[in-house]
Amino acid sequence: MNTIIDYLDNLFATLPKTKQLEDIRADMLANMEDKYNELKKLGKSENEAIGIVISEFGNIDELLNELDIQLDQKEAHFPLLLEEEIEDFLKTSKKTSMLTGLGVTLCMLGAALLILFFQLPNFSELAATTIGVTTLLVLVAIAVGLFIYGGMLKDKYKFIDEKGEFSLSFNTRKLLEDKKNAYQSTYALSVIFGVILCILSPVSLFIAMAISEEAVTYGVVALLCIIAIAINIFIYYGGIKDSYNRLLKLEEYSERQKEEDKVVGAVAAIVWPLAVCIFLISGLVYHQWHINWIIFPITGLLFGMFSAAYHILKTKETK
Amino acid sequence: MISSDVIRGYNDTIILYLLLENESYGYEISKQIKELSHEKYTIKETTLYSAFNRLLKNGYIESFYKDETFGKRRTYYKITEAGLHYYKEKCQEWKLTKEVVNRFIREDFT
Repeated sequence: MNTIIDYLDNLFATLPKTKQLEDIRADMLANMEDKYNELKKLGKSENEAIGIVISEFGNIDELLNELDIQLDQKEAHFPLLLEEEIEDFLKTSKKTSMLTGLGVTLCMLGAALLILFFQLPNFSELAATTIGVTTLLVLVAIAVGLFIYGGMLKDKYKFIDEKGEFSLSFNTRKLLEDKKNAYQSTYALSVIFGVILCILSPVSLFIAMAISEEAVTYGVVALLCIIAIAINIFIYYGGIKDSYNRLLKLEEYSERQKEEDKVVGAVAAIVWPLAVCIFLISGLVYHQWHINWIIFPITGLLFGMFSAAYHILKTKETK
Repeated sequence: MISSDVIRGYNDTIILYLLLENESYGYEISKQIKELSHEKYTIKETTLYSAFNRLLKNGYIESFYKDETFGKRRTYYKITEAGLHYYKEKCQEWKLTKEVVNRFIREDFT
């Protein structure tokens, strides 16, 4: 029976995904299933039954002519994704999201540790600088390694990620939609949890302030750690959701969005390393460790504002 | 076995005939065609659905959903007034066609 389902799926895969065609496909499948079962009951072997059912299917062009469907040549020539490929893509995306999330968290922890070393009472400033900066650099190096490794893992799926040069059969599309719907609640929960963490993160600062002036730095460290966890959650769960959207080619991955992603990505690649540079220079040269951490939340805020504004501008432009 | 080319113009008539008494669905119709033709004509799946589509578009049949015992949802088809009218016309046409073609068929060759 699977052979018949696959046969129909392959025939319909390159056709437009309309309600009319989906109804016809479902009805045809039901008919073929009945025919198959009846043939089996009459004592035909599995292969014979499948052979007869498929030979009595006819020519799909006849139906397309009747329905006046012009095949979109471009769409039709993209290879069909196999179920195993989809599974592997989802798994790889999950792994990449985890690596990226971990990398970002490591960078933030590095910054938090640096601040912490300065606050520890039995550390001289020189020792704190040396150990703190070394730790930060090591962590950043590991993070970069993770980013590159993640990128390499996803390299073979460039045709899905960047080009969208693939098509899905009805069956796999349905399967993916179900999976995505099932994932929706997990994603919503993760976003809620992450946002709550972000909103509550300054509480650690207030508590520290209430305890003593000295404790404020610990408050900052705690704040950075909490935000690091929140960002990790956003990246990991967001990445999984992203992979579904990419497979289903939801609107976010239209041409405009791809271009937008590129610009925002390019700006991010300049802004964040710049922030780290300012952080290190202001600390190492001007000894501003007690306050210069603020560069990160400020950069985050400005960057967020930039991508939002850019998105709005671009959306208006295309309308 | 009848070739589908020869019978093309009468697929719609055959389907309408089967819907005259009862509403029906795809597989039942194709099974009846096979049985009533003593397995001399098997309508192809794509031919059947092309015909359904054409008949629907012309308003000769109507479709509706019906749930079966095993939870399977099927599309059922029902003949309309216009369909009945068209069927009668086709019967007349066939009578004439048969008459005309018969004049060119030599009895001793069949």
